[in-house]
Amino acid sequence: MNAHARHPPVPAATPGYLPWAPELTGEPSPPPVARSPRRIDPAAALWLPARLAWRQLRAEKARLFSAIAGVMFACVLVFMQLGFRSALFDSATALLASFRADLYLMHPLTVVSFKPETLPRVRASQALALPEVAQAVPVYLAQATWRNPVNGTRRPIQLVGFDLEAGVMDFPGLAPLIPALKQPDTMAFDLRSRPEFGPVPALLADRGPFQAQVANRRMEVVGLIEIGPSFGADGNVVMSETNFRRLVKERLVSQVDLVAIKLAPGADPAAAAARLRAVMPPDVRVFNGRELVQFERDYWEEATPIGFIFMFGSIMGLIVGMVIVYQILFSDIASHLKEYATLKAMGYSNFYLGRAVLSAALILAVLGFLPGFALSTALYDFVGKGTFLPLEMDAERALGVFAMIFTMCATAGLLAMRKLRDANPADMF
Amino acid sequence: MTAPVEIAGLGYAYGEGELRRPVLRDIALTLAPGEIVLLTGPSGSGKTTLLTLIGALRAMQEGRCRVLGEELLGASEGQRVALRRRIGFIFQQHNLLGFLTAQQNVAMSIELDPATSERARLERATAMLAAVGLSDRGASRPAQLSGGQRQRVAVARALAGDPGLILADEPTAALDRQSGGEVVRLLRDLAKRRGVPILLVTHDPRILDIADRIIAMEDGRIVPTKQAEAVPAP
Ligand SMILES: Nc1ncnc2c1ncn2[C@@H]1O[C@H](COP(=O)(O)OP(=O)(O)OP(=O)(O)O)[C@@H](O)[C@H]1O
Ligand SMILES: [Mg+2]
Repeated sequence: MNAHARHPPVPAATPGYLPWAPELTGEPSPPPVARSPRRIDPAAALWLPARLAWRQLRAEKARLFSAIAGVMFACVLVFMQLGFRSALFDSATALLASFRADLYLMHPLTVVSFKPETLPRVRASQALALPEVAQAVPVYLAQATWRNPVNGTRRPIQLVGFDLEAGVMDFPGLAPLIPALKQPDTMAFDLRSRPEFGPVPALLADRGPFQAQVANRRMEVVGLIEIGPSFGADGNVVMSETNFRRLVKERLVSQVDLVAIKLAPGADPAAAAARLRAVMPPDVRVFNGRELVQFERDYWEEATPIGFIFMFGSIMGLIVGMVIVYQILFSDIASHLKEYATLKAMGYSNFYLGRAVLSAALILAVLGFLPGFALSTALYDFVGKGTFLPLEMDAERALGVFAMIFTMCATAGLLAMRKLRDANPADMF
Repeated sequence: MTAPVEIAGLGYAYGEGELRRPVLRDIALTLAPGEIVLLTGPSGSGKTTLLTLIGALRAMQEGRCRVLGEELLGASEGQRVALRRRIGFIFQQHNLLGFLTAQQNVAMSIELDPATSERARLERATAMLAAVGLSDRGASRPAQLSGGQRQRVAVARALAGDPGLILADEPTAALDRQSGGEVVRLLRDLAKRRGVPILLVTHDPRILDIADRIIAMEDGRIVPTKQAEAVPAP
């Protein structure tokens, strides 16, 4: 047995070696690591645990890819929910957002533009009395049935009537049509109306102005303007005040839905609005364009469950993503408890290992967000074309979603970190 | 030179209240600088418990235990974590990190020293691997190494951080006779060359010859020691 006899102590102390150092073969001993008095590098305190986390993630490709897929899934879900939400709100207010006047008067009891409370027409003339007001035109809004000129189906369409020549309201494409729209029984069609109204732009290009049936009356489509479909109406037509009155006979001329005001050049909109509020009777509320759109948006956000539905969808996506990330980090720790305990025995603190777990979570956030962002951008384009919803990726939303995904992964990391306490270095022996 | 390990009147019990069961009683033990001490004894005699107390892996309960100049009784978690960095551990299993190469595993024991550069760490790890005869396996993962090679990487890792003390618990248990002998002799040589003391728990009679001193434990106490030379070959 004892074939390896113990070596007798080396009598003379070799420099660097203790006197009892055995069988020195002349092979140089590795130099001790240089402990220079260099200052502690705070970047290393973040970088080293992050590198450890990345090496661990990278080692198990299948687990890494399922984690990335989970984050990506959450990311796409949140992007789609938020995209739909804002697209619906944008489209809900498309008609009002396309108005180009400076100020608007509306009845204070109106809650949403497609069910307006009327206000007296004389408020327009009263507004004109103020020197700041250059023009004030009554606007009439109503819905009527449109018959598809090709297959005869009927759908409700939004009618907008006002004094075209006053130049207060403007829509893209309207100006050159004004002379034609002064003829009796004419109208301009919104080219972004949904296709169910018929291929109106194609028909116009094909055979010029043609007859279409609105509210059981034949009217001539003389040209195209651009507004966009909204919640209340899938399509719009614009016509002169006179033609509107012919079409909607039950409406009293003296009752208007909105008064659009153009201010004199150089007038301060805020001051003018304040003066209008002061002089107008209490059946009038004064808005500027932004306030009018926001007012309409608030209705859809607060009075309908739409906002809640999409918020709920986003939160579900984040929770599912968090559970996936948590599961992966947790099982990563659980299956490497021995290794974590060894690191603790080597002097790694809980705090250091916690930083490694958190780094893993944040690496997953970034790795999942990037493809999720790319996929969502592609889906916005694809789905936007299919639904006519204005789905567009913008930097603000991208940053917002990244912040959510980051928080989601960080939460998962913080939860999974508790598992580190189970790694007890005293159990290692 | 003060002794790296000085223990007096150390006691330890597992459990609370009714279930309290003392496993160490009145232990006194001193390790001289550079000394290699083997700890043997029947299963359940408290060897591992003593080793975890000396290694600052467990909180002390009573007695005095001074390791590398630090008193462990009443030491905080933070103080114990800091002390562990100055101790090299070798476990029954190699416990290398499977997702790191041999070189990276060895470098892990220096990464906690903020004053080292990445290059210095890798050079140091390479030199340590060469010292355990694995200079060509630095890029291998633990799964690609044999059991003996893994345990040699573990030896390199324990020594890379320039520890003041090495604690090993049955490091040869998972190895066959040949590689077990190689690993402990390597450990002994490297430690002797640096003057690092070793406290090694073992049941393996084939490695008793590396010891300067052998201590036997029985039922939580240290029993009168015999000389290493006096241990009969089985
Ligand atoms: N975590 C623990 N909780 C409770 N009792 C424990 C714990 N660890 C060990 N013990 C008990 O303490 C006693 C000493 O255990 P220890 O592991 O120190 O023995 P050992 O000498 O290392 O034995 P072996 O040679 O089998 O490794 C044993 O009776 C054991 O059952
Ligand atoms: Mg044991």
